[in-house]
Amino acid sequence: MSEKVKEKSGIRSRIVPLILLVMAGVLLVLSVVGFVLQGTQETTQSLGQMQTSAVLHAASEGLINNIAQQARADKLAELRKDKNFRKRGLDEVNSICDAAMEEARAEAEKLYANPVVQDQAALDSAIQTFEKALSESSSLSVTERAAYAEIYVQLVDNISDWKAIAGESVADADVLASLQSTAPDLAKEANAHLGSALVRMARDQAAAQQTAEEAELKNQLINLLASDVPSWTEYIGLEEDALWEKLLQEVPGLEKGEAFRGDLLKKAAEHIAAAEKGETLPPPAEADEGADTVFETQADYSYFTPTAALEKEEAEKNDAYEQLNTQLVAVIPDLGGLSEKLQASLRGNIEKVLWMEDNSFSSRFHTYQQHKAEITSGAWKMNLASLATPLLLAGIAVLLLGLVILFWKPLTGRFGVPRTIIALFFVYLCLLAEFYNISVRMMMGNVLERMTMYGVLVLAMMPGIQCGIGLNMGITIGCISGLLGIVTALQFDLVGFPALACSCVLGALVALPLGWCYAKLLNRMKGNEMTISTYVGFSFVSLMCIGWMMLPFNNPRIIWLLMGKGLRVTHSLLGSFAHLLDNFLAFKIFGIKVPTGGLLFLALCCLLVWLFSRSRLGIAMTAAGSNPRFAEASGINVNRMRTVGTVLSTVIAAVGIVIYSQAFGYAQLYTAPRQLGFIAASAILIGGATVSKAKVSHVIIGVFLFEGVLVFGQQIANSVVAGGGLSEVMRIMISNGIILYALTQSGGGRRA
Amino acid sequence: MREQNQLKSHLEKYVVTYLFIALSVLFIITSGLDINYVASQLLLRLNRNAFIVLALIIPIIAGMGINFAITIGAMAAQIGLLLVISWGISGVPGILLAAAITLPLGSLFGFLIGKLLNKMKGQETIGSLILGYFANGAYQLLFLFIFGSIIPLNSNVTIVGASGVQNTLNLTGSVGLYTAVDGIAHIPFLLALYISCGVLALLTVVQYLRKKISRKKMLVGVIASVLIAGIFLIPAVANTVNGSHGRELKLPLVTWLLILGLCLFNSTIMRTRLGQKFRAVGQNQTVANASGINVDRTRVIAIMISTVLAGWGQIMFMQSEGIGTFQTYAAHEQVGLYAGAAILVGGASIDRATNLQALIGTFLFHSLFITAQSASSAMFGNSVIGEYFRAFLSYGVIALALIIYAWRTNRQRKAGQLNLADRHAVKS
Repeated sequence: MSEKVKEKSGIRSRIVPLILLVMAGVLLVLSVVGFVLQGTQETTQSLGQMQTSAVLHAASEGLINNIAQQARADKLAELRKDKNFRKRGLDEVNSICDAAMEEARAEAEKLYANPVVQDQAALDSAIQTFEKALSESSSLSVTERAAYAEIYVQLVDNISDWKAIAGESVADADVLASLQSTAPDLAKEANAHLGSALVRMARDQAAAQQTAEEAELKNQLINLLASDVPSWTEYIGLEEDALWEKLLQEVPGLEKGEAFRGDLLKKAAEHIAAAEKGETLPPPAEADEGADTVFETQADYSYFTPTAALEKEEAEKNDAYEQLNTQLVAVIPDLGGLSEKLQASLRGNIEKVLWMEDNSFSSRFHTYQQHKAEITSGAWKMNLASLATPLLLAGIAVLLLGLVILFWKPLTGRFGVPRTIIALFFVYLCLLAEFYNISVRMMMGNVLERMTMYGVLVLAMMPGIQCGIGLNMGITIGCISGLLGIVTALQFDLVGFPALACSCVLGALVALPLGWCYAKLLNRMKGNEMTISTYVGFSFVSLMCIGWMMLPFNNPRIIWLLMGKGLRVTHSLLGSFAHLLDNFLAFKIFGIKVPTGGLLFLALCCLLVWLFSRSRLGIAMTAAGSNPRFAEASGINVNRMRTVGTVLSTVIAAVGIVIYSQAFGYAQLYTAPRQLGFIAASAILIGGATVSKAKVSHVIIGVFLFEGVLVFGQQIANSVVAGGGLSEVMRIMISNGIILYALTQSGGGRRA
Repeated sequence: MREQNQLKSHLEKYVVTYLFIALSVLFIITSGLDINYVASQLLLRLNRNAFIVLALIIPIIAGMGINFAITIGAMAAQIGLLLVISWGISGVPGILLAAAITLPLGSLFGFLIGKLLNKMKGQETIGSLILGYFANGAYQLLFLFIFGSIIPLNSNVTIVGASGVQNTLNLTGSVGLYTAVDGIAHIPFLLALYISCGVLALLTVVQYLRKKISRKKMLVGVIASVLIAGIFLIPAVANTVNGSHGRELKLPLVTWLLILGLCLFNSTIMRTRLGQKFRAVGQNQTVANASGINVDRTRVIAIMISTVLAGWGQIMFMQSEGIGTFQTYAAHEQVGLYAGAAILVGGASIDRATNLQALIGTFLFHSLFITAQSASSAMFGNSVIGEYFRAFLSYGVIALALIIYAWRTNRQRKAGQLNLADRHAVKS
């Protein structure tokens, strides 16, 4: 009886995966058919016809838009002349103008939408010549631009004080020399032509820096006015000069603002006016926290100068376009009368139609279709051929899903649910990256870099889990200790390995007593550790926000200059120990940069933690964590073991944030460390740990999978949907979803 | 001896409240702000926040801790508001429609939250916090990529040239949702104060006559109400707090009726059968289960009610005076944090809370919030420190309350174990 039931449920549980597998098969077959169709002559020919039609449409579209816009502007001018113009509302005027525009557009479409081609062969050949010229010149252009971008990014990343390098007093040759020493590639013969343009760039940067510093100074002075003047009522009725004198006495540091005296006086006048009414102005708005985020440098191509070879190719391209343009004018005569600006935009449109970075069948097909090209023959074949790639991707996805459901029990039994799901997701993302022409190798390099960045931090979760306090969200306490170490190193202008060592050691030393107190607290809160550690961590971060403002650091490089105290939010570690470990013994293999030093350090930390967990103390600690009652009975002091684990976790976190900052290149204070506990927790959970069990392998696998999914996900999300929102959504949902899952696994039925 | 113990346990329960009272007084004095200004700001913030804070009570009584997942209720309300703005329905009908949309959405979300929290009993506080973060991801997905493309919206709320909802939506002007409830009718603050003092005194007398409370309690109640009313009858006090003519304090009548209505709802539901179930489940799940109560179902209902109420509270917050804009992607983020901190400041703990505690907590918490910046610039010559101090207070209060609660229950548990051991010893 019971076996029958089992068999039946066995069949039923296999139905879903079988259906999925069949679906996957169908999808894959369709996609193969699509790929085969892409190679046939019929579709190639049809695609060529679509290309011609798309080019013609792109040309006529520009013309039609132009006519419509012109009609709208004419209508507006006509309305303006009318004396009732002011009586009409904005909405009404807009609707009248829009109606005129639509009318003109409809008329123009009638005229130009279906151009009649006289000399099809000449047009086709002109299009093909131009397309060829575009694709040829692009390869040279791409290499030159890449070289330029690399130099540009090197310069911008590594130079923080542009005024020193390219101040007005420095001669061009000296500027060039210092640029070449920063970016050695610039000294190569192939890049010599970039020299003068980059000198110009450096001068512009220096000027921009000057302006930015002035603006910051002005802003700070305005804030000073608001905070340092106790009572504005004393100032009522003073003349400008007398007011300035009095303010100079009252507000120390104001003399630096002689240059913006006018603006400052205006602000003071606002304060006085408010004081007359018996009010006070609201305190100045706080700077946006998001503004402190550091973005990756993007090359600015406005200083790019082409070589002679590239210029020659450009000229050839221009010739080819001229020929195409004459052909187009022959078809649509009105194109000849366009203004220069419109000519340029027309050329831009046509180039977009003819040259795509991803020159596959489907992307060509979709671009042509966007430009309203008609499909002349074999519509279903064309559509199927263009869908081959997405069909393949969907097929693989369904196949993976089916296999996972089929082997759910053995898979999750061996690897755990989160690790299985995230690992499969990662594999799928790698496939997607291949299809979206994203370089998997480069991405892997990024993943390695991020692994060294987060590895030690994630490792800090391990002793916490082992000793029984669960996910230690309070590693932020350790992080803040580490940041204290870093700013101390910066305070004394330490550089290189001494700075790194000083930060680590000092951070660890601060973390010891803090971790001890924190452990004593958690020992009294058994059963509620995660909740308490989260909020204690949050509170400590906000408390230290005040701390960062009040601590007696005074190196002008790290404090708010005008206030004379208070650490800045973001500290660049360039010139101190940025990327120090990552660049140590770093080498390139298959185009992947391997951050040897960082990986070695991570390996060393893992080894130490592993050795510890094998030691007598470590075994006792794990025992106390996994079964406190049993441990107590066998003579282990559970509270002491928990203290050991918590302190260890906090100290590792202190080292971890130093490593994180050197890999990131910046140390971020104030609210920045708040979420680090969540990131570390989700990484180790993805690696296969639970809230009561963790191993070194969980740390390594977790960091790799988590960062891998994030790096690949970000790139792919960006190429699927413009704007960066999607990857952020993915990060939030994965990271918190994993923690939620772990909570449901641990907390069920337990009641504090 | 007994009195001393009572005093000690009273202090232990309300240590956070007394700390906040002391801090508030200190801050109000050092900030040098006009009392009238502080009073008007405080009233404004009470109008806005009281409703949401009151929404936390039922889950606390049902033993589910501070329900930080009320952010999800706020998200439901924001979906409702967005649709209402997109459809161009203004004024009271718009608010009512948004509330009507919030009801099914909030119930659905509450149902799901409850189901999930039932899987992590004992970890509800942290679970609901992380659930709120998780839902924020889903919310962004919805507002950035689904609204405006899959679900069509009016073009005045979407980003031009891309999918997704704009960063800020205006509630004033032709949208007409600004102060749609607040603006219906106002009542002078002093009048409201006198009336409520009178009603309070009357109620205590009635309770005494119905022999529900002792004579001593009745006298205390009556004298307290008379005293409060009397203090405000002194012209000097009334003028400092209430301000001179033309700037006198006013209360939005309908808003306050709704807040009082919610208080009434909270206290009446506790007298019903469902309320008894909440209380039983909150006190001891094993006992509740043994006496035939479906524990899981009761907990789900508690969270559903809380989520819907929080959603309505968020609508009240959005329409209130001085807001005027709808920060599409940020409006819900701090809802749980501020409401949770406020109710704990009032003397509530992880397992008990009353209407009065919620109201007093909101009052105290926001009085610090208003004065922190000015006080810090007076004390340290720097207003930014006040900003950080506010954040520290919010998180710190929650941490402190959690610690006190955990410490107390652990101690009780230990005591219970000792008692048990004693009994065993006697038996053998």
